[in-house]
Amino acid sequence: MKKIPLHPLTWWMWSCAVAISVARVDRPLFAGIAVGVVGLIVVAQRDDAPWGKSFNWTLKIALWILMVRTFIGVVIGVPIPGTTLFTLPRVPLPDWMPGIRIGGAVTLERLSSALSEGVTICAIIVIFGAAASLTSPHRLLRVLPIYVYEFGVTVVIATSVLPQLVTSVTRIRQAQRLRGQDTRGFASYRRVAIPLLEESLARSLDLAASMDSRGYGVSRRRSRYRPISWRIGDSAVVLSGLIVMGLS
Amino acid sequence: MIKFSNVSLIYPHSTTSVLENLNLEIAEGELVLVIGPTGSGKSSLLRLINGLVPHHTGGILAGDITVGGLSTREVKPGALAHLIGIVGQNPINGFVADTVEEELAFAMEALNLPNETMRKRVEESLDLMSLVPLRSRSIATLSGGEQQRVAIASALVMHPKVLVLDEPTSALDPIAAEEVLSILHRLVHDLSITIVIAEHKLERVIDFADRIVHITGDGVTTVGTAQEIMKSSPIAPPIVHLARALGLKDAGLSVRDMRRATQALRESTPISKPNTASVSAVPVIEIAKLTVAYGTKIALDSVTTTVFDNELVAVMGRNGSGKSSLLRSIAGVNEMQTGTVRVHSLLSKDLHSKLRRQTIGYIPQEPSDLLYAQSVEKECEQADKDNQIPPGTTYSVLAQLVPGISLHTHPRDLSEGQRLGLALSVVLSANPKVLILDEPTRGLDYEAKKSLTRILLEFASIFNRAVVIATHDVELVAELASRTIFLADGDIVADGPTIDVLLSSPAFAPQVAKVMSPQPWLRVRDVIAAIESKSP
Repeated sequence: MKKIPLHPLTWWMWSCAVAISVARVDRPLFAGIAVGVVGLIVVAQRDDAPWGKSFNWTLKIALWILMVRTFIGVVIGVPIPGTTLFTLPRVPLPDWMPGIRIGGAVTLERLSSALSEGVTICAIIVIFGAAASLTSPHRLLRVLPIYVYEFGVTVVIATSVLPQLVTSVTRIRQAQRLRGQDTRGFASYRRVAIPLLEESLARSLDLAASMDSRGYGVSRRRSRYRPISWRIGDSAVVLSGLIVMGLS
Repeated sequence: MIKFSNVSLIYPHSTTSVLENLNLEIAEGELVLVIGPTGSGKSSLLRLINGLVPHHTGGILAGDITVGGLSTREVKPGALAHLIGIVGQNPINGFVADTVEEELAFAMEALNLPNETMRKRVEESLDLMSLVPLRSRSIATLSGGEQQRVAIASALVMHPKVLVLDEPTSALDPIAAEEVLSILHRLVHDLSITIVIAEHKLERVIDFADRIVHITGDGVTTVGTAQEIMKSSPIAPPIVHLARALGLKDAGLSVRDMRRATQALRESTPISKPNTASVSAVPVIEIAKLTVAYGTKIALDSVTTTVFDNELVAVMGRNGSGKSSLLRSIAGVNEMQTGTVRVHSLLSKDLHSKLRRQTIGYIPQEPSDLLYAQSVEKECEQADKDNQIPPGTTYSVLAQLVPGISLHTHPRDLSEGQRLGLALSVVLSANPKVLILDEPTRGLDYEAKKSLTRILLEFASIFNRAVVIATHDVELVAELASRTIFLADGDIVADGPTIDVLLSSPAFAPQVAKVMSPQPWLRVRDVIAAIESKSP
């Protein structure tokens, strides 16, 4: 059976609602549950498309942000008194920088406050990542108003070229490793960049030629092959998001 | 339908013109084949038809080209979109949308056609190109042959009068190529569409062509029927060479005609199997239980085989049968594998820098992936330095492979054959123990293929080395390989002397074998040798 896709705005609206409630509740536990639910939905619903992987990417990015934030929050900033976990050596700062401290005692309270702030922010990032993962950017652009649409076609092309670029990089690096070249270090970037640039240039020329000969930009108005409509399923998803937001 | 009147074309910074004073009239429903060596201007001629040259690429055009009464001087390519469908060399580069249906609709959306018309025409084209099961698939997941069909379908939705195709079968296996060509044949006969097509593998298309335009590269073009052009053209498929070697009156364009003409010869010669070259018993590449999987898709399923010294092994199979995976595993860059690959009893995965260069030489599908310097000279110097060999050695190898390349040329400006030659000489300068080539003949003309064959044969016999080559080109395999491995769906389905493997499958049999069946002759020289041995 053919899966009827939801309206491209549905998941974005739902994500907005959930993200707002995460921000309003501002509890790490709630944020964690939200991320869990979102993750389950993504695994169940996403297609096998390039953008389907964007959820994994946002997860990684969010984890990084969490780590960096916690580290900075613990090491730099105003100390919160409480149970001392361990003490870092303190970097001496000149007198004219009062109130700022690098290193020193790390308390449990400081650590948990840094963590919980971070978790909320990261949860919001991940929730929007899920929306991106569940919605084809191409379909999303198609529901946007016509004056955004022209610009949108450019974006669509850029997004469809991106995965091709990634495969090209992998391919070129592989080939050069086979030539016995070191693929690490700064010099290797130049060796990958040159074939890559040449290929992208050739590809974009081909693309421009193809669009040109298919009549792109001839008519000022564009018609739409498959108008996108709003269905009951869309309302149900958005409603569930709104209920969560209302209860929070 | 299409009319070239006194057309001359020259690109800026070039001393020779691509076309000089070309007069050509193509009628409706004609299939015209454009042939010529690489870089001779076949693509330019095709792109002149809808005005991409010179509107898009620059170049100085004299004379006039009209299509259906519209002059390309006066209108831009876009304004001819309803009249001409053009399919480029790499269709993937020209795709705009993410799914098959949306791709088909793109041109119609751009011309603001009403929705009902679009729906109807998309259905029509999907049916015509047998794409219905693929309609909602993401284009990136399609195979080469499917992409080619999508590209043709997205040109057909505009109901064009003219279809222009640049090497539509160069990346396809013989079966997929046959599919595409039979569709083109049908378009000409059922819908009377005019088709202009450029192709290197003449053996695939010559039978369909009404007329041939032969471009020599120095501005001279000859136009004639296939018979006329093939009488004297240096570019000719094996079947024509066979006709010439046998001194037949006709050029011999189809297997059927040639079989009729050679019936007496076939029957008067006793069937004898040509003796195959003996191979050494020294194993070089040992593959044991190799399995490669990408996610849930299994590319190779527990493959075990051994390649010996001075063997020339061809790996064949349809698009996506696991050829490239096998080659990459031999080269040791496949991370998704279980099982072992040993080259000279070293695990190929563990090889690094210099030892790797000296053990395995690998030419990827895009030879330019290996090249990164700004000139041929720098590229050769780098290879000399890497391998600690006297300066100039790599260039002298290159000069032997492809003579006449200037040191100061940028690798990008080389023709496909020259670039392959450069990559090959860079790899050979390390004097590797085995050589692996992944589809080296894409876009190569007969001349370049001939010199590639010569080089590989020399490398295998003189230096006593093993060569593994993946290719779709049955004629090359017939000329070159002593042994053929046939892959299907990740399994080895046939592995043996080339002659046995090729003769056992009609789709993969070379032209000469089709003509001469049941005689076991693959090449023109086999036939000649058999005749000579019969009448000393």
